[in-house]
Amino acid sequence: MKTGKASGAAAGVLQPAYIPQDGDFRLKEDADKIAIDTNFAAQSFWKDVLVRYFKKISAVIGLVLILLISAMAVVGPGMNAYTYSEQNLSQKNFAPRVRVLEGLGIFDGDETIKTTTGTKVANLYKDKELDDLYYWFGSDNFGRDIWTRTWSGARVSLIIAVAAAVIDMVIGMSYGLISGYFGGKVDMLMQRFLEVANGIPRLVIVTLLLLVLQPGMLTIIFALMLTEWVGMSRIARAEMLKLKEQEFVLASRTLGAGSFFIIFREILPNIIGPIITQVMFSIPTAIFTEAFLSFVGLGIPVPQCSLGSLISEGFNSFTTHPYQIVPPIVVMALLMLSFNMVADGLREALDPKLKEM
Amino acid sequence: MKKYTLKRILTSLFTLLAILLVLFILMQLMPGSPFNDEKLNNDQRMALYAKYGLDQPIVVQFFNYVKNMLKGDFGVSYNISKNTPISQLIQTRLPVSIRIGGLAVSIGAVLGLLLGLVAALEHDTIWDSLATVISVIGVSVPSYVFALTLSYTLGFRMGWFPMLYKEKQAFASSALPSIALSMFTMASIARFTRSEMLEVLGSDYMLLAESKGISGAALIFRHALRNALIPIITVLAPLIVDLMTGSLVVEKIFSIPGVGSLLVTAIQSNDYNVVIALSFIYSAMYIAIMLVVDILYGIIDPRIRLTKED
Repeated sequence: MKTGKASGAAAGVLQPAYIPQDGDFRLKEDADKIAIDTNFAAQSFWKDVLVRYFKKISAVIGLVLILLISAMAVVGPGMNAYTYSEQNLSQKNFAPRVRVLEGLGIFDGDETIKTTTGTKVANLYKDKELDDLYYWFGSDNFGRDIWTRTWSGARVSLIIAVAAAVIDMVIGMSYGLISGYFGGKVDMLMQRFLEVANGIPRLVIVTLLLLVLQPGMLTIIFALMLTEWVGMSRIARAEMLKLKEQEFVLASRTLGAGSFFIIFREILPNIIGPIITQVMFSIPTAIFTEAFLSFVGLGIPVPQCSLGSLISEGFNSFTTHPYQIVPPIVVMALLMLSFNMVADGLREALDPKLKEM
Repeated sequence: MKKYTLKRILTSLFTLLAILLVLFILMQLMPGSPFNDEKLNNDQRMALYAKYGLDQPIVVQFFNYVKNMLKGDFGVSYNISKNTPISQLIQTRLPVSIRIGGLAVSIGAVLGLLLGLVAALEHDTIWDSLATVISVIGVSVPSYVFALTLSYTLGFRMGWFPMLYKEKQAFASSALPSIALSMFTMASIARFTRSEMLEVLGSDYMLLAESKGISGAALIFRHALRNALIPIITVLAPLIVDLMTGSLVVEKIFSIPGVGSLLVTAIQSNDYNVVIALSFIYSAMYIAIMLVVDILYGIIDPRIRLTKED
């Protein structure tokens, strides 16, 4: 605008040209961004990934939590004399009590009960004179030890989730790789089928399948398996489309490699990063779906338990005995949280160019 | 664009048909029949089969089935409330679910947008980290954990909100379930807003706008947020669908007389007709929303239209 005016008025009064002042400018102060003049030692891709992964605190916390919970799922049920299905109807609804901590006034078996006349503190251990009895997380409505049940539930949930995620990976990955590699009619057909399968809500598939089949660990894994493979296959296909025109594929073909050799031995190792990340993301989904199924009564049959079925049992008495629902809920929330954090960390570590979050 | 839209509509119709086929096959596979009563003799059972059209050839049954489903005639409930048409059961419950779902989406979208905006504008500060922590927790902790926590603390201990849904206090009763349901939406929207905003804020046209002297609110809301919103709208739609299915357990926890708790009750009492009808409605809504979103993508953002056409 200014220059236009100036030239238009050139015949009349000549306006002084605009002189920039210091206030018009400020330094961008991006010295850190410019200063990338550091030397890097050559190192392998995976070593680089490890370094980047362990730089992210949340990812490390997630990994530690997963390892801790998995370890407890293995050894936890054996740490006391109770078993997950042993019932003792004379010792039901005992509040948590732990040997050393009881001296500190917490975990001493006291329980505040809200009644119509107000609240009162009860201690079933003292009432029944069972001084040597310790339920670390308390006992449930059938007198079963919640500590043992929480950890064996975590074990069942983890097995289901990891198995479902791994099977998903194998199916989805193969589907996507094959569809992407062959292209043309094969790709068209496979993608149309995928679109139809993707159009059905996941929860509907799982629910209906479990109504028809007998509930059990294998059926739940099977049902979960049918839900996540679509996302996995999309990623595998996209990666395949990126890679299949590259020289190393051509070289391999020239050397006489067959299609399946190229797909699984040449290309697969190059896209394993995004696929592992996707597996990590689908584990919490599987844990959640399993918990949902237990909640509506389609989960693991009794007396076995999973985190979902424990939450669903605890829900029935969660206003009177809240300590019964706390351990499974906390373990499940921590598991889902840490798998998500690990997946986030992996994604960033594997693909440093990716935008944050 | 026309070709793409047409293709998308055809795929959707085909998907709907495939779902009907799956539902029909599952119906045939269901263990036991609703007429399992031992008091019935063979003749009576045959009479019942004839009444419900179960004696005709399977192909005819399927076509009748498709016709009825598309008309919205889902048959009658066998167990939950005997011989009540299912469409009638659903009619009274759908508005409740939609109200709570809608409330949850609104809360989640608004809070998520604000949270993401703060995180992006205060990039790399304590606010940013706080927003990140909140959104990671919101994304990974399931809605019914929030529901149980809220119900115990604010509902049971404090007594501020009703623990169970009451028809007379519809608004107060909707508060806790809506908040619990909105957490996931809020967290995902916040994450998305943050990353989109960061990208937009770093773009050249923002630099241009800033150097032209536009400042403050106008810069952020008119120039940055508007461009960041397009992709956010596209993630919101699938979230709405997720809310419908995710609300099952939350509805059960607060005993809300909605569609979700009807489905849970139907599963628990083996009322297959109701389960199938609700599955069909969920699927149909899901397909419809996905179709609308996919077509909208193209209209809103020409870049997507171009990539989708190859």
